[in-house]
Amino acid sequence: MEEGRNSDEKKTALCGRSLTAASQDGGGRMSAVPLAQGKVEGGKVYSGDGVLGYLEMLEAQAHELGLKQEEKEQQEKKLNRLKAKVQELRTRRDELRAKVELQEKRLLDKEGVVTDPARPSAQTVLEWKVKSIKAMLQVFYLTGISGKLTKQGICFCISTAYEGTYLDSYYVDLLIKPEVKIQRHSVPIFIPLEQIAKKYLQTDIRRFLSVLSDHLNAYVGRRHQADQLEEHFSDRIEGTLQRNSLCNLLVFNYTVSSDSKTFPFNVRLLYRDLCCSLPTEAIISCTPGTLSLLAKVAAAHSNTFRQMALHKAFDSIINAKESQD
Amino acid sequence: MDEVAVEYIRRTVLKIPRDEIMAVLQKWGFLSEAQLQTINFRQTKESISHSVAQLCEESSAGIKQAALLDIIYNHIYPNKRVWSVYHMNKTGKASFFSFSTQVTINFREYEDNAIWIRIAWGTPYTKPNQYKTSYVVYHSQTPYVFISASTLRSNLPLLCQAMVVASNYHNIREMELRSHCLNSLKDIVFKRYSQNFQTNYPLQERNVLTENEDLRINDENRSEKERIHRLNQECFGDGPQPKLDFAQYKLETMFKSDPKWDVLEKKEPFRCLVKFSSPHLLESLKSLAPAGLADAPLSPLLTCIPQKARNYFKIREKSSLHPGSFVSP
Repeated sequence: MEEGRNSDEKKTALCGRSLTAASQDGGGRMSAVPLAQGKVEGGKVYSGDGVLGYLEMLEAQAHELGLKQEEKEQQEKKLNRLKAKVQELRTRRDELRAKVELQEKRLLDKEGVVTDPARPSAQTVLEWKVKSIKAMLQVFYLTGISGKLTKQGICFCISTAYEGTYLDSYYVDLLIKPEVKIQRHSVPIFIPLEQIAKKYLQTDIRRFLSVLSDHLNAYVGRRHQADQLEEHFSDRIEGTLQRNSLCNLLVFNYTVSSDSKTFPFNVRLLYRDLCCSLPTEAIISCTPGTLSLLAKVAAAHSNTFRQMALHKAFDSIINAKESQD
Repeated sequence: MDEVAVEYIRRTVLKIPRDEIMAVLQKWGFLSEAQLQTINFRQTKESISHSVAQLCEESSAGIKQAALLDIIYNHIYPNKRVWSVYHMNKTGKASFFSFSTQVTINFREYEDNAIWIRIAWGTPYTKPNQYKTSYVVYHSQTPYVFISASTLRSNLPLLCQAMVVASNYHNIREMELRSHCLNSLKDIVFKRYSQNFQTNYPLQERNVLTENEDLRINDENRSEKERIHRLNQECFGDGPQPKLDFAQYKLETMFKSDPKWDVLEKKEPFRCLVKFSSPHLLESLKSLAPAGLADAPLSPLLTCIPQKARNYFKIREKSSLHPGSFVSP
């Protein structure tokens, strides 16, 4: 307290200023009138350097102390909360450890019935049930076609995948009454959904879903192959890979070297079957005049493109070339 | 001709924000790096534009290069124009009418399968005016076309006809969907925005509103807040909404009031136009219920905008036994 007062006085000496206030007289003019001899100190205004000023200073200090105390309290509370959480997690960990040991013990004991040292409580049973249901739902999702009943019908989810990688999910929300109709969907516009629906939706929903799923999976597969090619081999491709919305027409250029000369090849991949993720045609063209020399190479490359996934085909083509040179 | 092109280039450069002029010119690729290095980008935009014009004149820039720069500018800043969406289909007979006028047409293909077509309009008797342009954006294998017409709307029928012929369809009709944000229009019609579908898996975790961890505060309205949140999720989904500027509702419904008030003597539909404008209409609608400004669930007239792909509505009386209103297709 004493120290504080001394330092305040020092500050007072250094930056004392008198306050004035503007007041309006009847005529609306502003005139300056000294309000009191006050001081401005560290951003705080004390309106008098007597008792009032001292009281104000004390008030401010008390306020600050109050804030600090509150902060401290909050931190303590937070700390306690975290401690409680740690405790909770520790008990849970112990519980799980006990369960794991129990499981292991059960696996080792081949004969006889082992009495559970820890009977599972209703809580844990419920948790296991919920967990197994969630796993079941996940399995349904992983099959590629899953659905959920809605108030007015069913919402189907087609989850697409290509060679083990799960990619986008698309939804079709169906109304059932008065007739089966698509209420809304998230199928991209270039998939011929309307045509497929016209053909199969009223008569055979399973077929509708199956055909739609084929289209979507094939589209996603083609797109994935093109993306993989761009991601891993962009340095081996001249320019950029050109594709259309359905990714059923891909065009790109790369170079082939033979006898220490490089030849530019242009590949045009056509996927005429929209349900297929391998091209039906792979047209390779070179600069006119060189085709006769490279006919064999071009034919081999064309075959590779038609039989393997694009990025794998390209990989094998490049590696074959490198092993040749 | 060259002066026109160079002046056009200069004016296009003036439209670009100063910090981005270099990047745009590099994308354009007409001026070499060496030439670009000679421009002092710390001057005023006016001076920069003159420097660029000078270089273009030295390099003999023509209308083609000027048009290309205009396409690039509009591709980077598409939100300066208003875009309308047109839908093409193959029903009906294809009909043609002949019309001849002078135009300049330029194409540019972009990686996202979009083809940008720039058309500068003239008349049968005058050369194309490079300042009167329309833009058409088309994605392959889709029945939609995005058109930003300039002031000359009289050329729209010709433009639509050309699009139909070029893309091998029979008919084109204007959809009631307009906005400044081209990408959002694409998101809506290509269904690229996040819709909320009911699924069993991936499990939709209940989003517990945990903003306030302070245990001293009790949320009396917690269940109501969660209800509003859930309804909002169902209507709008999780992700960002497409950006629309406005929604317009034209009402032609009967005024329903206490008979003794008798506002209208004649039983005529009350004509009224309601327009909601916003820098980001759908986000603002999404935040209405949580902010307490509207009841949840919101009227389906507001929430159906992205699904119906329209922001112009005409609401008429249902002409059957049930009084009510229906939205015209």
